[in-house]
Amino acid sequence: MAATILKEDGAYHSFCGLTCIGWLYQKIKDSFFLVLGTHTCAHLLQNVLGVMVFARPRFGVALIEEADLSKPQPDLAALIDEIVADHHPSVIFLLSSCTPEVMKVEFEGLARSLSRPDLPVLFVPASGLEYTFSQAEDSVLQALLPFCPMAAPDDRRVVFLGSVNDAIADDFRVEATRLGIPVAGFLPDNHFSALPPIGPATIVAPLQPYLAKVAGRLARERGATVLSSLFPFGPDGTRAFWEDLAAALGIAVDLRERERQAWERLEPHLAILRGKRVLFTADNLMELPLARFLKNAGCTVLECSSPYINRKFHARELAALDGVRIVEQPDFDRQVHDIDLLQPDLVISNLATTNPLVGRGVVAKWSTEFSFMPIHGWSGAATLAGMFTRPLQRHRRLDPLAHDPVWLAGMMS
Amino acid sequence: MRLALWMYQGTAHHGVGRIANSMRGVHAVFHAPQGDDYVNPIFTMLERTPDFPRMTTSIVSGRDLAQGTVRLPETLRKVEARLHPDVIIVCASCSTILLQEDLERIARSATTRAEVLVYDANPYRMQEIRAADGLFDLLARRYARAQSLTPAPSVNILGPASLGFHNRSDLICLRRMLATLGVQVNAVAPLGASVGDLERLPAAWATIAPYRELGQGAARWLEEQFGVPALTDAPIGVQPTLGWLGRLVETLNDVGARNERRQAPLQMPPLTAFSLDGISAPSAVPWFARTADMESYSTKRAFVFGDATHTVGMVKFLHDELGMQLAGAGTYLEHEAAWVAQQLAQYLPQDGAGPQLLVTDVFQHVAQRIAELSPELVCGTQMERHACRKLDLPCMVIAPPTHIENHLLSYRPVLGFDGADALADEIYTTATLGMEKHLIDMFGDAGLEYGAAQGKGGTTEEECAGTNDGAQGAEGEAEHGQVNSSSSHSTAPSPVHPVWSGDALVMLKKVPFFVRGRVQKNVERYATQHGYATITAEILIAAREALGG
Repeated sequence: MAATILKEDGAYHSFCGLTCIGWLYQKIKDSFFLVLGTHTCAHLLQNVLGVMVFARPRFGVALIEEADLSKPQPDLAALIDEIVADHHPSVIFLLSSCTPEVMKVEFEGLARSLSRPDLPVLFVPASGLEYTFSQAEDSVLQALLPFCPMAAPDDRRVVFLGSVNDAIADDFRVEATRLGIPVAGFLPDNHFSALPPIGPATIVAPLQPYLAKVAGRLARERGATVLSSLFPFGPDGTRAFWEDLAAALGIAVDLRERERQAWERLEPHLAILRGKRVLFTADNLMELPLARFLKNAGCTVLECSSPYINRKFHARELAALDGVRIVEQPDFDRQVHDIDLLQPDLVISNLATTNPLVGRGVVAKWSTEFSFMPIHGWSGAATLAGMFTRPLQRHRRLDPLAHDPVWLAGMMS
Repeated sequence: MRLALWMYQGTAHHGVGRIANSMRGVHAVFHAPQGDDYVNPIFTMLERTPDFPRMTTSIVSGRDLAQGTVRLPETLRKVEARLHPDVIIVCASCSTILLQEDLERIARSATTRAEVLVYDANPYRMQEIRAADGLFDLLARRYARAQSLTPAPSVNILGPASLGFHNRSDLICLRRMLATLGVQVNAVAPLGASVGDLERLPAAWATIAPYRELGQGAARWLEEQFGVPALTDAPIGVQPTLGWLGRLVETLNDVGARNERRQAPLQMPPLTAFSLDGISAPSAVPWFARTADMESYSTKRAFVFGDATHTVGMVKFLHDELGMQLAGAGTYLEHEAAWVAQQLAQYLPQDGAGPQLLVTDVFQHVAQRIAELSPELVCGTQMERHACRKLDLPCMVIAPPTHIENHLLSYRPVLGFDGADALADEIYTTATLGMEKHLIDMFGDAGLEYGAAQGKGGTTEEECAGTNDGAQGAEGEAEHGQVNSSSSHSTAPSPVHPVWSGDALVMLKKVPFFVRGRVQKNVERYATQHGYATITAEILIAAREALGG
């Protein structure tokens, strides 16, 4: 079933692709992320993800200053030396940004020329002219693809696709073992040297909904089968994910009872969620599966907007959202108008807009938080549900003082 | 080309956004890729603005460039329809400025009723502070109108702005002191100012512009153009505040005499009038500095690093009013270096060439200087706090860039008598805590367990260290885990205390450290309840699933 997707091509608030550094440099522990960019890129990285708590991060900006604008191709060799001396990475990701894109820097060649026999420098397209927030993880994984060993033609195992923390990765390994599903590994894993083998018999199981392009390439270039299922969020998504994955390997499993129990455990959350009207603005590309979980949890999803929707990669989620208003690249002004009109019970919105939406009298929640919480699989279900119920409960507990504008006076100048 | 980690200043467009967000009826439009919209959350998160910040990104995408689409006129019309601003400031970004478009012409084509100003903030030539100050200067020049003075003595307060360092508290403090003197406030700008407020700037008897970073250009222009005298020193500390009040009274009385105002000249009230309780000294610093308690501070050496205003103010305050010693100072504002050096010539230790003032915007160089000097107190920015955490030195933040922890709700001015008290308190608590920590280091843990679960800063560093030296980190954690389980055993004895299998323990280690203890306890309780003697990986997973992570 093909859901209708409205495309507004509007201005929505989100970050550029560079933001993925915030979690990927921690995930891939022997990496360094080098942005070829300007003061703007450095200021962004410093401010948006709270990454400033780290004194010596494994990322940095090769700073384009005025004198560099006239040079045809930037010279980064000395910076690579500095990075090697300080951090000894096994791999350097060279990320593009808006300014060198406009300057038409030839990144592929640049990355190749900087690569050393023991230290590949990999080009990652991430500029805000093309990529939003979580999307650039897709670029990073594509850059890693050539370094995944070729699996034997009969190596029929699963590779989980998408960065998750170690605890979630363990959950998925154990669950796979329980169901008799052989696991080849994770892309990405914690180290550059630990990339999984991928070949024509590999089943690629996407854990994150923002990896459409690398999934497509794994199918085309390695002949791997990309699992088309729900993403493993919530009891509904998790059951579909494992049943479909098992089926892809010729294993029949029935997780109906498991799903029923999982929903039953969520009952305190469901009691709060049932009948609530929820609207997703657009931010981190996790909107479709999150909205689908809420729909199945008894919410009415007024609008599910996302920066990018891929009809093939998101097919099952779109089908599950049949009847829901789905918008790609929404117009934020229109959304604010609708929010004023519809007064949703809960709005999921990005870091820039959440407090102002709360200031307008709706309950709003940071979408960005979903990117950093263990909400995958069976064990993540309660965390996931709690992400939605916590703001609802908190605002219900608070006294109604803030409805009087006097308590907001002066908070804007 | 250099490798940049952290920046002391924001970008030019961030400076523009700060001015727009300070004012009423002014809106900034950035002709920029979507990513440049990141400046928005800095306002909504640090200042927690309950409305949308007064800035909009008019998006330029790769496809727009390929197709020759320019959305700017449409954005301008939308902004006008939605917000009806008086003025819209348009500026390019670091990438779109390279396109060399004629933004004036494009903006004019929008035919908005609001005035549209294209501000040439070249991000390769200016950063946040000069872009903000330059824009404010431009707006003041554009809108200020010649007019007669207010009937009673009044002042403009120029400089407070959105995301300025403790600016709101400073404004409260200045207003309190002015109220005590009986001086009216003609206009405050840019914070809370409208175009109308800018128009009547020349009606003030004098202008107060305490910050080198913002408003002094406009203040000097008002003096040249309209003869409104400018007070451009920052009343940081008790003595500077007394001097500043004296000069303010004198200036206003001069203006009154020159304009043949018949009212009685302003008098300095008794100093107790400035403490709003009406009975005490306006600041406790002069007495506090002389108490025995502060003896130990006379041997403490401080290092001060920040913008121009706060660096100079803090050095003088530490030295002149608390009797501390200076190990060094510096600023990241290169264009203010000469002024800072001149102000601090008598305060800094000399080397052969003169006083040692560090002028750099390279974070690592500042960290290195701090490490070399190893002072007993560092007054710096959020970045120096990081450097000091690593070096285990006490640090307080006295200048931007800031962290959410520097955007507190309570009244914490830097300026005036109240500011002197607030600074002294912070210096005292910052440095004292440092000493206590050293005592702990020296004599053991004082009964405290400084393990992975303690403190905000230390843990972060441990995480970093852990990745460098995995084996050692794992050992430490294992010990920590044993301490935990044995203590939970002793507090809650149970007939079957479950044992962790190797694989489950390995898995447990991967739970983030700050919740690991809780997860461990919950899983053990789950195992006990279900009668499992050994916690395997299977049981750990089952328990986490049952208990919700």
